[in-house]
Amino acid sequence: MKSRFHGELKEIKKDVLKMGDLARGMLKNSIAALMKQDNELADEVLSHKEEIMDMNDEIEHRCLQAISMYQPMARDMRVIGACLKLITYLTRIGRYGKDIATVAKELSGKPHLAKLVSIPHMAELVDGMISDGLTAFEKKDISLLENFGERDDDIDALRYSIFRECLTYMMEDSKNITRCMHYAMIARYLERCADHACKMAEKITYAITGERVEIK
Amino acid sequence: MAAKIMVKGLSLWYDGKQALKDITMDVPEKKVTAIIGPSGCGKSTFIRCLNRMNDIVNGCRVEGEVTIDGESIYRNNADVVKLRKTVGMVFQKPNPFPFSIYDNVAYGCRVAGINNKKTLKEVVERSLKKAALYEEVCDRLRDSAMSLSGGQQQRLCMARALAIEPEIILMDEPCSALDPIATAKIEGLIRELREEYTVVIVTHNMQQAARVSDYTAYLYIGKLIEYGITRQIFENPKEESTEKYITGRFG
Repeated sequence: MKSRFHGELKEIKKDVLKMGDLARGMLKNSIAALMKQDNELADEVLSHKEEIMDMNDEIEHRCLQAISMYQPMARDMRVIGACLKLITYLTRIGRYGKDIATVAKELSGKPHLAKLVSIPHMAELVDGMISDGLTAFEKKDISLLENFGERDDDIDALRYSIFRECLTYMMEDSKNITRCMHYAMIARYLERCADHACKMAEKITYAITGERVEIK
Repeated sequence: MAAKIMVKGLSLWYDGKQALKDITMDVPEKKVTAIIGPSGCGKSTFIRCLNRMNDIVNGCRVEGEVTIDGESIYRNNADVVKLRKTVGMVFQKPNPFPFSIYDNVAYGCRVAGINNKKTLKEVVERSLKKAALYEEVCDRLRDSAMSLSGGQQQRLCMARALAIEPEIILMDEPCSALDPIATAKIEGLIRELREEYTVVIVTHNMQQAARVSDYTAYLYIGKLIEYGITRQIFENPKEESTEKYITGRFG
């Protein structure tokens, strides 16, 4: 009976990681679509919207079913609890990817105001955090999560720097306001993704060690 | 936590085979303490030590100390009859006497020499109420206890244990022979009993231990592996062996 549960738990974990790859893909491709002004790629991101929602519902259903059938305890219970939380964070990250793709399409008509440097850099850092979180969960290795607080601070600083840069362009010419607002929103979305990565790291740490931590 | 029962270095042998190994733990007063562990780990043996039930087993030898309210129950001049009045017990299978419901509950008092009808009536009513059975049987107290359902019989056994006004109640898998509805009633009762009594319960059902107990002790091959607040044991056990057992990786 319990070995069936552990088999199911393994499958659920695998699917959470698969969902993580999908969310990461949506975020990365949305930034790529923004950079290359590639509407096709943006559409591809948008096409995954339903898929990530369906994965969320399917994994949630299986977690609840496993809880009702096997009443897991200790680490098993913590892992199931973490899966339920991780899928929420991953869905949100995927949705931010979708939002960025929508903005990318809107901005695709005209060239960017300047070469985008901070946004892709920020996206790379965010993706690194999500990726490290998922690897930590997969390999039960919390050492990958150690400096998440500082990494999140860097991302917050980048968001602020993008915001200031946008302000300059907006003050220069009011025609830039719409575009710059979009850039600032993208930076905000990426910052929120990093916050979700931090929450993921907290849940993963709890699942692996049983200790509750707060990443500030 | 104020300790009602203190167990210190308790070891037990059946015909030279050691069943309990150097167990030391304090059982807190007016709390529910669950004893869990795989079959044969010594759970039942352990709680039977708390009212000296193992005395009647041939070839059984006990070492170490068990004190209730600071008094050793294994001292030479210990009054075992008084001990069993202080420590009531409910077993795995309901075992009512083949008497009426009333006589089952009144039995302990009669043995203790109480024969006043009014007093007995009061004790029976109070005990059945405490065991959440009174409403179901108040109009048929003279019927045979055997006519009750399994769950009712088990609550009758609890009422019988409560009638002698014990301070401690030991329960050896009290729900393992009952259906889920009867089990839920007994579990509700256990939670209520903790207001007045110190309860020690042996259970195979870990969810039950998690539901009803305040503290949980995990025994493995006669040794106390881990003992702590129930939530901690089931959410984040410190010992690898506890983790493996409660997550069903063995046992």
